[in-house]
Formats: sequence, C-alpha cells, structure tokens
Amino acid sequence: MILSKSKFQVGMVISALLAFNTLAQAQPQGEAALIKREAQLREGPGDTSRSLAPLPVQTPVTRLGDRQGAWIKVRMADGATGWVHMFDITSASAQSGSTGAGALRSLSSFFNKGSAQSSGSTVATSTIGIRGLGAEDLASAQPNLAAVAQADANRANAAQARQFAGNASLSSRQVEPLPTPAPPAASPSGAAPEQYGR
Amino acid sequence: MNLHALQMLGTPARHATLALALLAGLSPLTAQAQDAAKALGGLFQSLVKPNQPAQPAQQPNSPSGLAGALLGASLAPAGGQAVQGGDLFKLLSQSLDQIDEPREIQIGQQLAAVLLGSKPLYPDVAMQRYINQLGRWISLQSPRPDLPWTFAILDDPGFNAFATPGGYVFVTKGLIDRVTDEGELAGILAHEITHVTAKHHLIALNKSARAGLLTQVISSQLKNDLGGMVSSQLLALGKNMYTKGLDQQDEFDADRTGVALAARSGFDPYGLVAVLQQLRTAAPDDALFALSLSTHPPAQTRLNQLEQAMGTRLDAYAGQPSVTVAQRMSGANRRPTAQAPARPPVKK
Repeated sequence: MILSKSKFQVGMVISALLAFNTLAQAQPQGEAALIKREAQLREGPGDTSRSLAPLPVQTPVTRLGDRQGAWIKVRMADGATGWVHMFDITSASAQSGSTGAGALRSLSSFFNKGSAQSSGSTVATSTIGIRGLGAEDLASAQPNLAAVAQADANRANAAQARQFAGNASLSSRQVEPLPTPAPPAASPSGAAPEQYGR
Repeated sequence: MNLHALQMLGTPARHATLALALLAGLSPLTAQAQDAAKALGGLFQSLVKPNQPAQPAQQPNSPSGLAGALLGASLAPAGGQAVQGGDLFKLLSQSLDQIDEPREIQIGQQLAAVLLGSKPLYPDVAMQRYINQLGRWISLQSPRPDLPWTFAILDDPGFNAFATPGGYVFVTKGLIDRVTDEGELAGILAHEITHVTAKHHLIALNKSARAGLLTQVISSQLKNDLGGMVSSQLLALGKNMYTKGLDQQDEFDADRTGVALAARSGFDPYGLVAVLQQLRTAAPDDALFALSLSTHPPAQTRLNQLEQAMGTRLDAYAGQPSVTVAQRMSGANRRPTAQAPARPPVKK
C-alpha cells in the first residue's frame, strides 16, 4: 500500500510535467499533412464553395486549427489558406519520412504485443512508468463499489436528457446505418498492418 | 455449510461486520476465510487487499472500503436477483444466453468498480452531471435506450474512454481537456455506447471465460490473497480485457455505428473523425495515450475504415457551429432548470 502510494505520487508529478509536451503534440493544429487524392482548395467549407487552387496528390499543407464538419482549414506552402475535406488529407508522417515510419512501426508493435499476450493476465506495457490510467493501475485496482454508487447517483434520466438536448437545440434525426467496408488486410497475428492512404 | 448460515443473517451490514470479524487476526487467509469470502462475492472484495494482512475489525483497511461493501450490496439491479460474483463467472463461462439484462448490468457494475478502483471519480459534480446529460441523450437514440446508462469522468490525465456491460461509460478528465468541442466528445461517447449496445465486452468476456486459459493463470496468481474467490476471476478477466483491448473489428464497428449514432443525436458525424486524426498525431510512446493506442487499432487504419463507410453519406448532417465543453458548462448546464437556452444554440 505504502509502496504503491509513493509510486503513484511520483507518477502523478512526472505525468504533470510531461503534460506540457504532450499537449502540444496532440494538437492537430500546425500538423503537416499531405493531399492524398486530387482536390481543390476551397474558399469556404463545402464542395460548392469557390475553388482557390487545384490540389494535386502529395501537395504538402499545414493544418490550421479550424474545422467545420468535414472541412478543415489548411495553409499551402505559398501561404494561401483555404478549406479541404478531412478525408482528402493524410498525415505527412504516415506517408513518408523515416521518423514517421519508425513511429508507426513501434505503434504497430505496441498493438501486436497486446494481441500476442492475450493468454497472460495483464500486459506489462510499461517501460516508462509514467502515464495516464494504464495496465499497472488496472492490475492493482481494488474494486470500489462506493464510487460506483456515487457514479450511479449522477445519472440523468430520459426527461433530463431531453431537456438538455432542448436547451442545446439538439434534435434527433433519421440516419441510415453505414455500410460495413471490407476489413483491412489482416496480418497473421491479427493486428492490422498500417494502411497509408488508399 | 456454514456459509449458508452467514448469508441467512440478513443485512449487508451484518455480512460485512461478520466478514471482518472472521478475518480479524487471520493472516494469511485461512481456507475458512476464503470460503466466507467466496460466499460474500463482490461484497467482500473491497475489504480485502492483496498482499496485506487482514486488519482487526475495529480498523478496516479503509473506511471507504467498508462503505463500498455496504453500498455495494444495494447495487444489485432492482427486481433482479443478486447473483454472487462467482455465479456470474460460471454463467459467463457457459453461454451468453444465460446472461439476461439484470445480470449483464451486474457484471458491468463489477467491472465499473474495477475501473473506479484504478482511478477515482473526477470531483466536479457539475461536470459529472453534464456528461450524464450528454451521454444519456445520445443513448436515447441507441438501440437500447432503457438501460440504466451511467456516465462518469475519471480523474486521470490520460486520454481514454471505457465502457462496461449494462451501460457504464467512462472518459478520463484528460480526454475532456483535449477534445476541441462537444461534437468530438459526443463522437467518443457514441463509440462507447455502441460497445455496450452491441455487447462487445460481454462477448469478449464470454470468449475468454470459455477458453478457460486465463482462469488457471489467475488462480495461481491470487493464491496468497484472493485465491478461491471465484468472482475475482471475473474481475481478472475484466482487467485483462481492458488492458488488452477488444477485437479490432469491434472497434471498427463502434467507430462506424457510433458515427451514425452521433449524427442521429444531432451531432456532427465528423467529431469522432477529428478525434482520430488527433490520435494519429499522438506519439505511440506518449504515456498519456499509451493505453488508448495499445488497445486500439492504429488510428490511421480506423480512419481508413471510417472513410470507406462514410464517404460523403453523412456530410449533410455535419457543419454545426461547434460548442466547447467549457461553453456548454458555463451555459445550460449551470442552470439546469433554466427555460431559456443559456448558450448560443447549436443550429442544425
């Protein structure tokens, strides 16, 4: 108990320190991206908006922060800004660059590791020991039923949920289920190989 | 056997007290104590910490542990018979047909207790109420609107979300902090809600329980503390599942169905897509994303699958002005009874 507590505290301190780094990394804003299929740079979000420039495949763009629905704002190498559909870009590191490939390789092995050890009790994913909720926390967790009761007490009923939606001007809509695409080609271990664009 | 006598005594408080008394001075646990523990199932577990000698009855390991045990006893679904944890595990190892909805909920409560045992609830009650209103609204558009849906924010800096059978959905505070707007959060909740409605976790538990492999590993691991408590097997299965993740097809399904569910609830279907693009840029060894990344297919693969499913089918449902969580929190949710919309309304 004492041991795990001090470990926990150290973990918290270090993760707080790390948070600065990772916040910046996690933001898509400023992310380098590539056009993955022929598209147009649009003046506004939407296919009907005026085209500012053609975007050939592999055109490098920088993501700016704005998004409206499927459309995101980007900046071209020449400084021009406009909008493209989210599905028309791919992460620059996913397609080329040795660091990107390396990162994805290790991501893949992370995933494989989980699958390969499926018969073990818990997967020791930790080499660094600093993280958000992780395998170690789960492994050492003692069931806390009091907290479950507390969470139950925060439930909203259907009427409260509808009132919330009304206040937020949310209304339900008829939406057809989406078709199921073919699964990604599976490797023997069951982990998906990365697919970069299509 | 004497266990029966114990159970006959009635009130949960009696159980807990007796259990403590039984444990007092017993270190390591005797077979008798283990049997008692077995009989008391989940009720008992919060009182026993592994690798720790039992405490005298006057000083339970933690007051909250005792409270947990007492409250835990009342957690059994109303109307349904409370089944001991061990029995739940046995049922799980047989057929999914054995698991009716009250039992599914009970399994979910035990697993929720594990997740809440690894990280506490985030203490901001207004925010907990907000996530419940938001999540409950989305769940109302799901195929199982009548489950006792419970949403909770875990006090954790990492980026993750979990669901347990029967309608428990958890997101970390770190995730709340990182989503750009409510539409992204809605996309994540819809993904988790789909895991519940499609019984992904229940099916995965059933699979591992039937495989029986894990059971041996676990019982040998727990020999010196909780060994013999059958319901600890359920918890161990759960811990393993949340560490290992679901089948990737389940994740693709939850992405695809979740996107449609979010759109059905009035939200931007591209919220989840935006989250996945963000996840794609997270370094794989980033400690705050480690478990999310290791338990899910690569974000790029998920994006490719979603793109194939979505095409431009849902573009007509997109494009709402975005509202941040902070904006919503400072508006409508702070005045839950207010009649007038407190925030600039989200127009379709």
